[in-house]
Amino acid sequence: MTFGALILKNLLRHRVRTLLTAVGIAIGIMTVIALGAVATGARQAAGGMLQSGGSDLLVAQKGASDLTFSSMPTRQAARLDRRGDVAWAHPVLLDVSKVGSNPYFVAFGMRLADLAEAPPPLVAGRVPRRADQVLLGDRGARDLGVGVGGTVEIQRTRFRVAGLFHVGTTWQDGGAYVPLVSLQRAARKPGVVTGAYVRVAAGRDAGAVGEAIEAADPQLVAIADVDDMAEVDQGIEAIDGLNLAISLLAVGIGAIGVMNTMVMSVFERTREIGILRAVGWRGRRVVRMIVGESIAVCLIAFVVGLGLGALATEAVTLVPAIGAVLEPAYTVAVMVRALVVALVVALVGAAYPAIRAARLLPMEALRHE
Amino acid sequence: MSEIAVEVRGLVKSYEGGRIRALRGADLKVARGEFVALMGPSGCGKSTLLHVIAALDRPDAGHVHVMGVDTDAVRDLSAYRARTVGLVFQLHNLLPALTASENVQVPMFETGTGRRERRRRADDLLALVGLADRTHNRPGELSGGERQRVAIARALANDPPVLLADEPTGSLDSKAGGRVMDLIERLRTERGLTVLLVTHDPGVAARADRTVHMLDGRVLAPAAVPNVPLALPVMPS
Repeated sequence: MTFGALILKNLLRHRVRTLLTAVGIAIGIMTVIALGAVATGARQAAGGMLQSGGSDLLVAQKGASDLTFSSMPTRQAARLDRRGDVAWAHPVLLDVSKVGSNPYFVAFGMRLADLAEAPPPLVAGRVPRRADQVLLGDRGARDLGVGVGGTVEIQRTRFRVAGLFHVGTTWQDGGAYVPLVSLQRAARKPGVVTGAYVRVAAGRDAGAVGEAIEAADPQLVAIADVDDMAEVDQGIEAIDGLNLAISLLAVGIGAIGVMNTMVMSVFERTREIGILRAVGWRGRRVVRMIVGESIAVCLIAFVVGLGLGALATEAVTLVPAIGAVLEPAYTVAVMVRALVVALVVALVGAAYPAIRAARLLPMEALRHE
Repeated sequence: MSEIAVEVRGLVKSYEGGRIRALRGADLKVARGEFVALMGPSGCGKSTLLHVIAALDRPDAGHVHVMGVDTDAVRDLSAYRARTVGLVFQLHNLLPALTASENVQVPMFETGTGRRERRRRADDLLALVGLADRTHNRPGELSGGERQRVAIARALANDPPVLLADEPTGSLDSKAGGRVMDLIERLRTERGLTVLLVTHDPGVAARADRTVHMLDGRVLAPAAVPNVPLALPVMPS
């Protein structure tokens, strides 16, 4: 018999209790997995909006609470092109509206010449050449059931699909590249853009160029990756905050559940713990046994929670309005986070009962009825 | 004089804030390899004395030396309990979820014995106590006498030189009790064990080299090794 086998035998003595405790923690893990996968998916999707056609930076209005609220004159965005450290700057208007069943269809308004210069990877058709044509993401095309030559209505304006593209991020592939002037007219934002996609000149460092742009105009912010996104979008921070809050909640509720189970288990086995001490077990070994039992329950909960989390997330994305904009990302980081939550629950939940068990005097424990 | 295995001097132990005085200056010496029976009326402090010697309880005053270990001087007595003394209770005190073999292996976790060695030694010990065919049975599947024999095998798991038994036949019928005593006598002879055994049964005590009587928390017979005459005669069986 190994020490691990002894731990499992102890848990199997109260199968129902062990199972119910594990399910309780698994629900917490499920929440961590589901929210983590959604948050990571959202971050990846948001990150995808920061780049287009090989750009290095997205320059936008500093302090906007949401990227789509960023606003600057088209001329100001276009002027970035004149900088020596910039290879090209393409003004872009990001507009979110309901298209088909997707309530968050993102239209990327760009000048036709810029689209031709740095197009997204095409999978069908060609880049738009006229004001009434769009380049539709393959995910959007699938959701809307249209292909090249078909039509799509964005902001009550009908466009013909000139081509399809695939970038690999949810919000871009679910949206469309629309001629800038047409989108400004349709969205009633004439002469205004969200910002500009910027490609730095060869040999230049994107971070340094971004800092130079910000130094030249304090009203602007240059975003290189999704971690800088908070400068123009509080949504990502809100999701991260919610994720952390749910994780802490899962730890709190889970730890109380585990503690309840382990305290009960230790109390019931007081006499047995006395026997173990009487035959020579050190307090430390008793602690290892109790903590081992707690970790085993939480690892079972982790595995069950992984499955439940994936199921719950996939179930939510079956709703068309959500599935169109949300692609959960089950990254290693999400799994590690859930595992850390499970282990913290195990350790916090076992701490008190384990210390209590280790402090029992053998005779005091043996007298326990 | 024979070498002393167990020496107890002026042992005092009280409970409930001094209201119950279980030991009031108990003295005892047990020679190495000796088999001593401890007798006395209920509440005279026999079991308390045994438990203090087994380091299950700390005395309020007095000294306990077992095989050269001064239990006062050792902060963590786990190693002492694991290696120096083997303990058998009146109720077997086996772990119900474990098989006989696993119960015998439990004390070996603390001595760094490998998994295979633990299993081999447990099976050998169970064969020694006549339970070679019951290694996979849980306590609930064994008779009272068999459980007590498993408990004896567990007490010997780490090959301790001293066996402490607290009324090991107290919950058994005479036949099963007789077998357990046969086993203890045989093991004592074969393994050179020092045995200190608490009993109410004069018949059990008669099997010992000598009987020590206790009354009101004190040992009545003078602390003595076998060549010292006993203050009280051995109770007839």
